[in-house]
Amino acid sequence: MIWLNIVIQGALVGGFYALFACGLSLMFGVLKVINLAHGDMAVVAGYVAVFLSPRLHIPGLWSFLVVVPLFALLGYVVQRTVIQKSIDRDPFTTLLVTFGLSVVIENLLLEMYSANGQSINIGSLIGESWHPASIIYISYVSLAVLAAAVLVLLALQLFLSKSGIGRLIRAVADDQEAAQLSGANYRHVFGIAAAIAFATVALAGIAYGMMTQFAPTSGGVNLLFAFEVVVIGGIGSLWGTLVGGIALGIAQQFGAHINLSYQILAGNILFLAVLAVRPQGLFGRRSSLA
Amino acid sequence: MSEEINPASNEGIPGWGGFKFGRRLGLQAAAVMAASGALATLADVSAAHAATKSGTIKIGFVSPRTGALADFAGPDAFVLQQIRASSYFAKGIVIGKTKYHLQIIEKDTQSLGNVAVQVTQELINSGCDLIVTSSAPETTIPVATTCEQYKVPCLATVVPWEAWWGGFSGASISPEGAAVGKGPKYNSMFFFGVPHFAGTFVPMWERIAHLTKANRNVAEMFPNDADGNAFRASFAPTVNAMFPKGGYNFVDGGAYTDLTTNYSSMIQTFKTGGKGGAQCDLFVNAPLPPDFQSFWTQASQQNYNPKLATVAKVMLFPTDAYALGALSNNIATDAWFTPYSPYESSLTGQTANAFAAAYQAAGHGQWVQSMGSTYSLFEIAIQALKKVNNPHNRLDVAHALQTVNYHGMCGPLNFNAKSPNPLLASPAKGIAMVQPVGVQWKPGSKDLVGHRKYAWSQWVVDNSLNKAIPLNGTLEPTNG
Repeated sequence: MIWLNIVIQGALVGGFYALFACGLSLMFGVLKVINLAHGDMAVVAGYVAVFLSPRLHIPGLWSFLVVVPLFALLGYVVQRTVIQKSIDRDPFTTLLVTFGLSVVIENLLLEMYSANGQSINIGSLIGESWHPASIIYISYVSLAVLAAAVLVLLALQLFLSKSGIGRLIRAVADDQEAAQLSGANYRHVFGIAAAIAFATVALAGIAYGMMTQFAPTSGGVNLLFAFEVVVIGGIGSLWGTLVGGIALGIAQQFGAHINLSYQILAGNILFLAVLAVRPQGLFGRRSSLA
Repeated sequence: MSEEINPASNEGIPGWGGFKFGRRLGLQAAAVMAASGALATLADVSAAHAATKSGTIKIGFVSPRTGALADFAGPDAFVLQQIRASSYFAKGIVIGKTKYHLQIIEKDTQSLGNVAVQVTQELINSGCDLIVTSSAPETTIPVATTCEQYKVPCLATVVPWEAWWGGFSGASISPEGAAVGKGPKYNSMFFFGVPHFAGTFVPMWERIAHLTKANRNVAEMFPNDADGNAFRASFAPTVNAMFPKGGYNFVDGGAYTDLTTNYSSMIQTFKTGGKGGAQCDLFVNAPLPPDFQSFWTQASQQNYNPKLATVAKVMLFPTDAYALGALSNNIATDAWFTPYSPYESSLTGQTANAFAAAYQAAGHGQWVQSMGSTYSLFEIAIQALKKVNNPHNRLDVAHALQTVNYHGMCGPLNFNAKSPNPLLASPAKGIAMVQPVGVQWKPGSKDLVGHRKYAWSQWVVDNSLNKAIPLNGTLEPTNG
């Protein structure tokens, strides 16, 4: 029963990791941009939710209805203005630019909202859980986050394979110049991909704000986990992101069961092991490494 | 090449100021010595001339205005405004035949230790006669050790005295919790230590055990950081030594990393780790605020409901309680200043209650504990200055600080207290003990301070260590 509980709790945490990582995976898969400000974007979404929802009189739980579209728009604008300019130069510039964005965001948040911890208040729902068996308690919030991760990945999968824009995104991701020759406006396509990535990171940021407390500098830790998820699952594979997230979550729970100090370590060991044995990740294609 | 870059980066990035060691530091030190020597000579000359002269005493104030510890410094601006309006600071202080104007210079540490060192050096360079500092070991230890190095009087607060003492070279804490080694010459502090946490928390455990038949298994949530490891090493032995008949069984949840987001395995340990597989009905911790919030919500999700949570280092300030919402109900912690104490300012006679009410009326939100301790820093500075012949004589000022004995905003403080009771006695000269009370977070009321109701307020539920502060609330189980 203890082992079952470890797997269940690990999968629940993993759902959050997957939700958090899918935007990073998309940005890298399509734009070839490693967004070092990814974690900070999630924190910004949390702040927007905390400070916007009382003004608009919407409960914290439903704040994503406003924040997610807002971030999609923001994603498109940031991509077309800042990130595209750096892509046009060279890959190192994008690293520097997103790192700079990360520093600017953290300090702006510090300046505007101070270093006080914030969280999105969803009332007594946060403490409630479903009790299916003796020692197993499943938090409704964590379950909802896992479900959201699965839904988002499913929707993305359908969007990328069935819709015209989705196919365009895949074409540009596969071969930008060939797609351009065929008349695709790759800048617009990049903008749409960034919009989707920002929308998912906003959802992840709000989920994080509901589950725990965040401060202007909370983005960094989660960014590390998101990288691990993407590498474990395989770059460019959406389902790999879900499996990677759950694998990381279970590894951490397993480590914590042995000794609480090994919680983070166990996840890092899994990450290193995957990198050593299967560098393309569990679901990645070897060619995508090139 | 590197020589071209380094000076620029030193100047350009404020956080890197701590690296300015070596030749530059030596020059700064020399400049400080020269300046202080000149000042001292001037002061001697003016005193010798026997006319009523005027001078300036500079007091440096170092606190974490921004960064992770910013909550502690929240009331700084208000407190300084009150201090500056009080008569000594508004009109000056007469020492010997000279009238001195008092000047306070404020510096922010950004909650970083290396910045704390840098701003302390700046204060010393600008000729501060003494430096006062508050809020957490991360702030006070770098400030205190820098002052000791430059031979500048320094007064600290809101730091467990054991951590502060251990920060000086050649000083340490014995396994029994006594101060070992030769203490600092220029430093003093007031606050409390690990035995006071035990002395505040354990009487509450006892009462809850009688009230609810709670078992005596105590869950310990201590992180793998300086505070957490200190508590892990000393809290259980201190409780067992102070309450030998208590029979408490401590269950360590494990040395987790700060900012861990998932605690299900620790919660499982607390649910079944007591004697005979029982749940730990009592809970104690010393975590970072976000970690406590994660832990506490997950404990609720996983149906771990200790009968009483007594927390240290978190839930000190209203912002913590607002963030947790209903889950903060009846969480107990310690308080070193409350508006309900019968204490008053030694500068103006204003009561603790009026002080807190003025803070709330000025639109700063609900009162916070650190306003009292910050206020007392300046009260004590005045007490010491009144006793010296020459405020620029650093050894005299340091000595005066180490022997202050007065009543003020934080109650009676004696920096050289002799007592058979180790909780009252100074562990060493220059350390004064505040006697904390146990408080619980409960929904606020208009009847508390200044007829203002806040969502959550601290109610005094245990005064085992300080009978002078009356109870105004009833101790209730955290989870009934």
